[in-house]
Amino acid sequence: MHGDHGATLRHGRIGAAALFVFALVFGWMGSRIEYSFSSDPLGPRTFPVALAVVLAGLAILNFVRPGRNEAWPRGATLVGAIALPALVAACALLLGPAGFLVAIFVMTAGSSRVFGASWPKAIVAGVLHAVGWYLLFAVLLEVQLPSGDLFKMLVKR
Amino acid sequence: MNLDYLWHGFAVALTPTNLLIGFVGAFLGTLIGALPAIGPINGIALLLPIAYTMGLPPESTMILLAGIYCGAEYGGRISSILLNVPGDAGAVMTALDGHPLAKQGRAGEALAISGLASFFGGTVGTIGLALFAPALAALAIGFGPAEYFVLMVFAFATLGSMVGSDPVKTLVGCTLGLMLATVGLDPTSGAYRYTFDEPELGDGIEFVVLVIGLFSISEAINILEHQSKGGEILKVAGRSLARLDDIRRCVWTAVRSSVIGFVVGVLPGTGASVASAISYMTEKRLNDRDGTFGKGDVRGLAAPEAANNATAAGAFVPMLTLGVPGSGTTAVMLGALMLYNIQPGPQLLTERPEIVGGLVASMFIGNLILLALNLPMVKIFARVLTLPNWILVPSILVLSVVGVYSTHSSVLSVLIMLGIGVVGWMLRKLDFEMAPIILGFVLGKVMEVNLRNALAISGGELSILWSSTISQVLWVMALTVAVAPWFLARRMKRLRAVEAKAESAGLPED
Repeated sequence: MHGDHGATLRHGRIGAAALFVFALVFGWMGSRIEYSFSSDPLGPRTFPVALAVVLAGLAILNFVRPGRNEAWPRGATLVGAIALPALVAACALLLGPAGFLVAIFVMTAGSSRVFGASWPKAIVAGVLHAVGWYLLFAVLLEVQLPSGDLFKMLVKR
Repeated sequence: MNLDYLWHGFAVALTPTNLLIGFVGAFLGTLIGALPAIGPINGIALLLPIAYTMGLPPESTMILLAGIYCGAEYGGRISSILLNVPGDAGAVMTALDGHPLAKQGRAGEALAISGLASFFGGTVGTIGLALFAPALAALAIGFGPAEYFVLMVFAFATLGSMVGSDPVKTLVGCTLGLMLATVGLDPTSGAYRYTFDEPELGDGIEFVVLVIGLFSISEAINILEHQSKGGEILKVAGRSLARLDDIRRCVWTAVRSSVIGFVVGVLPGTGASVASAISYMTEKRLNDRDGTFGKGDVRGLAAPEAANNATAAGAFVPMLTLGVPGSGTTAVMLGALMLYNIQPGPQLLTERPEIVGGLVASMFIGNLILLALNLPMVKIFARVLTLPNWILVPSILVLSVVGVYSTHSSVLSVLIMLGIGVVGWMLRKLDFEMAPIILGFVLGKVMEVNLRNALAISGGELSILWSSTISQVLWVMALTVAVAPWFLARRMKRLRAVEAKAESAGLPED
C-alpha cells in the first residue's frame, strides 16, 4: 500500500501546502468581512481569523512531518474513483428534467458496473433500484420525489 | 437522585410507534454493523435525513438513530468473527480472538458469547448513562460562557491526544470543521461570512449536506479502493449456545471492560476503537498466563465487545448534558438535534426530558431487543456478509442523493454534498479522519458564541477565561490530556498502531 515512499511523502507535503494556502485565503477573507456594528468586543472577524492562524500553524507542522498517507489509485480504480462522483452528479442534474426513475436508473446501473457487475446484471439492478426505491420512498414513506419534466410532458399528451 | 426523567422516558419509548421505530433501528443497525464496508456513523448519516423528512418528532429520530448506533456495535462482531474483517473500527479487537474461535469450529459459541458480552456492556453503559447524566447536567448548570469555551478547548485537546494516528492531522480536521461552521449569517453583527453572495449559503452549510458528503460519498470511493480480496466466510458452526463455564470465566472481564468502555465513551471525542483496544490490552495483561490470548480465548472476545457497547452508551453522556459529543457518531446525532433547533446542554434534561429520557429508556429496551435478535437470528445477519458491493454501493448512493435532495429540494445542495465528499476522500487519502471535522462543525457556533459572550461580559478582558475555579480545572485537564501522550508514549503507540490498522483496512470510523 505504501509502495513508493518518496511519492507519498510528496503527496503529504502537497496536501499540507494546500491547507496552508487555504488558511491564508480564509484568513484574508475573514479580515475583510463587512459589518456595521457588533454588540461584542470581538466582532465577526476575530474568530475566523484566529482559526486561519491555527490552521496555518498546523499546516506548517504537517508539512515538516507529513506522516502516513495512502497511495493514490491507478488504472481501473482511478477510472472508478472518477466515474462514481460523475454518476452522482449526473443523477443530480437529471432529477429535475428526467425525473427520479431515470436519474436513479442511470446512477445505480452505472455504479453497479463500476463495482464489477456485468452490463446485463447492472441494467437489471438499475431497473430494480429505480422501481424499488421509488416504491419505498414515494409510496411507503411518502417522501416527495421529482417526477421529472419529461414524465409530466408525456402525461399531458 | 432524581430519576423522574427516566420513568417518563419509558412512557415515551414504550408507545407502539416508538417501540416499532426502536426495533427497526436495532435491526438496521445490526445489518449495518455486520456489513464489512460501513459502520454506525455511515448508517446514521444515511438515515438521518430520511427520518427528518418523514416528519418524525425529535425523540423518535433519536430513538431510531440510537437503535442504529447500538445495533451496529452488536453487528460489528459478526464480520469480525466469521470473516476476520471487522465491520467497523470498534470491532477490530474482536477479530483477534473471535476469528480463531470460529476457525476451531466454535463460531456459534463465539457469536453467543460476544452477543452476551455486548448485552452486558450495553446495559452497564446505559445504567451509567442514566445515573451519570443528571449529575453531570447539575454540575454543568453553573457553567457560564467562559466555562463553556474552555470546555470546548478541553474537548479538542482530548480529541487531539487520543484519536487518530497523528495529533496534528486530528486538530487540522477540528479546525476545518470550526471554519465550515463560520459560514453564513453572523447573528450578533448581521454580517454575512463566506457566503459568496449565494442565498443558499446564508443559513450556513447544511449539516445533512456535510455529513452525507463526508460519510457516504467519500466512503463509496473508499470501498471501491479497498474491495475485499474475497476472504473466506466461515460457517456458523458448532453449538450456538455459550458454555456455562466460558460465561463464568468472562464475568469479571465483562465487568471491567464495561467500566473501561463507559469511561472512555464519556471522554469527549474518544470512541469504541480506543475503548476496545484498552480493555483488550488490560485483560491480556491481567489474564494471559498461558498465552491463549489471540488464539481463541473467550475473554479476549468478551472484553472488546463489552467495552465497545458500553462506549456507545457512555458517549451520550457529554453529548446530552454538555452538548459536547463523546464520539463521531454522537456528533452526528447532536447535529440531528440541531436540525430540530434543539441545542443540547445542561438545560436539555429539564426542558426536554422526553428526549433524554426517551433516548435512555429506548437504549435499555433496545439492548433487550438486540439480544433477542442477535442470539437466534445471527445466521440471517451473517448472510449480509455475502452482499456484493455492486448492490451495496449503489444503494448507499441512492440514499445519499434522496437524503440530501428531500431535505432541501435543491440540486445545488446535492452538488455541494458531492464536492465535500470528493474533498473528504482526498483528505482521507492523506490520512485525515472525517470525525474531527464533524465534531468541529457541530461545536463551532457554540464555541464562538460563548467566547464572544464571555468577552462581552468582561468588556474584552481575556482573564475571564481563567478566572473561575471550574475553568481553571478545565484548563488543567486540557493541559494534562495534551501532555499525557508524551508520558504514556509507549502505550499510546500501541493504541495508535491498532487505530492505524483499522484505518489502513479502510474501515469506517466510529
